[in-house]
Amino acid sequence: MEARIILQIQILWNPNRQSFRRPCLHLPRFFIRASSSTSQKPRSYKGPKPSTNLVADFISRNDDLARSLPIYVGGASLLAVLFNRTVSGIAPVADASSSQSRADLLALGLAVTNLLTGLVWLSIRPKSITPVNPEGVDCKVVDSDLPTSIVSELLWGWESLKLATCCKSLVIVYNGICLIQIGMVAESPQDKKRVVVNTDKLMQGSVYRGVMKSKAQSYLANLSLYPGRSELPFLPANTQAVILQPLGDKGIAVIGGNTIRGFTSSDQAWISSIGEKLDATLGRYFVDSAEVSREKD
Amino acid sequence: MSIRICNLPFNSSFAPQPRARISSRSTRVFARTENDTQQQLNLSVLRFTFGIPGLDESYLPRWLGYGFGSLLLLNHFSASAPINEPQLRSEALGLSLAAFSIALPYIGKFLKGSVVEQRTLPEEGEQVFVISSNIGDSLKEDLAWATYVLLRNTSTIAVLISVEGELCIRGYWNCPDQMLKAQLHDWFKKKVDEIGLADVKETLYFPQYEVWFIGSSASWDILPNGTRSLFVQPLIQDINEPQKMDGFLLVASTAGYAYSDKDRAWIGAMAEKFRG
Repeated sequence: MEARIILQIQILWNPNRQSFRRPCLHLPRFFIRASSSTSQKPRSYKGPKPSTNLVADFISRNDDLARSLPIYVGGASLLAVLFNRTVSGIAPVADASSSQSRADLLALGLAVTNLLTGLVWLSIRPKSITPVNPEGVDCKVVDSDLPTSIVSELLWGWESLKLATCCKSLVIVYNGICLIQIGMVAESPQDKKRVVVNTDKLMQGSVYRGVMKSKAQSYLANLSLYPGRSELPFLPANTQAVILQPLGDKGIAVIGGNTIRGFTSSDQAWISSIGEKLDATLGRYFVDSAEVSREKD
Repeated sequence: MSIRICNLPFNSSFAPQPRARISSRSTRVFARTENDTQQQLNLSVLRFTFGIPGLDESYLPRWLGYGFGSLLLLNHFSASAPINEPQLRSEALGLSLAAFSIALPYIGKFLKGSVVEQRTLPEEGEQVFVISSNIGDSLKEDLAWATYVLLRNTSTIAVLISVEGELCIRGYWNCPDQMLKAQLHDWFKKKVDEIGLADVKETLYFPQYEVWFIGSSASWDILPNGTRSLFVQPLIQDINEPQKMDGFLLVASTAGYAYSDKDRAWIGAMAEKFRG
């Protein structure tokens, strides 16, 4: 008990002490170094730094080679066993009579295991799909009546999507107003500028109505196969995948990506969480502003 | 023993599972793929399986390696008379093959599309949820939402967010029970200050966290028992922006290699929200 208290005092008052693997019981120090800076400056981090795992790095970088490695190892050892037999003059007979044959059989069994594992790994290789650059203009249009806190939240949503997923375009429509249109946007052929979101047309379309009715996220993994494509003219023509996230029952977020099936199930879960958050924030803002305008009248 | 043809659609439903249903003793393994945005697991292939539920066939090379390796040794020691050279060569080859087979499941874990372990909940202890009282309501709401979402969408069991020294703690932590919320907040603050986590400048990811590895500093024992992965994301990435908020975000999980690149990207996005 005493030793523990002494150790704790040492930890508290010696910010520059190195961290040891096992608690070292020093002789108790009877003076305490009072450092006045501990209250303002954060104490320096005393934990370890993560070490690099060479095997993991090598394998993640050379995925194809790592997958076929067991096949080469298995095949080479198969040949080596036969070669060993012929070189040493023993007949290649596969019976368990002599201990040499038994050892060879066991080695052969292991070689076959490796071969089969390599084949299984090759067969479950994920298909890699190349992203398609969206054609259009880059734009950033935010509704001017929104307060800064809402704008920063919407921009945070866009930055997270851009960073973590294959999202390249984002449009949020709430309460009949297009709040934000950001990222790659289709270029209108007449005036070479961005296509403006026609919220009335969008909200009357079947895409919007379907999502509102089901109240659930809709993931169009391959947009070219989807007939309702024409209701989203503001997205670049070669957008590959789209997620339609309802924001409560008053709005929708249209998220366009540059890869077919580019949004994983993890992305979908995160997007629906962000959708709920945005709905809470926007809903509260619009209710407040509706009350304010009612009070004014 | 059977061969099963899997032709499953990729979009497995990601409904959040209520905690009461997850057994805290068994480790369930399912194919949640760890893939980039450009890749899709092609599941219509022949998969070898014994058909026994709960048996993980990807560890078969390891068991075969142990079994055959021990048979080789048995064969070696039970051989009568001096052992001739070809046999020694065969045995050496067999033993190295056995060692390689034992390592195969470990290598397979790092391939793309590999099976990711699911988290197990700690058996004892209860969940805590503590927010500092010195912060505004909107920040409190943001913190509550962010911690909830991190617990739901990743395999996290414990999350701690610190913004300008004020903490929000949620999940399973190794803290004294019977403490009032305010005292608990101060207790966590003291522990966090001892470790000096506020000073971390870059992200720290420990995919195989071992208790002895962290050191003797008693402060690390706030993490729950069975923590296998740890990820710390500081809010400040750039010292040239002094007006941004200071702090960090810490998540821990009971599954090893729990945070893939995508998970870490999303956690970074969550941290961005609190940068101000």
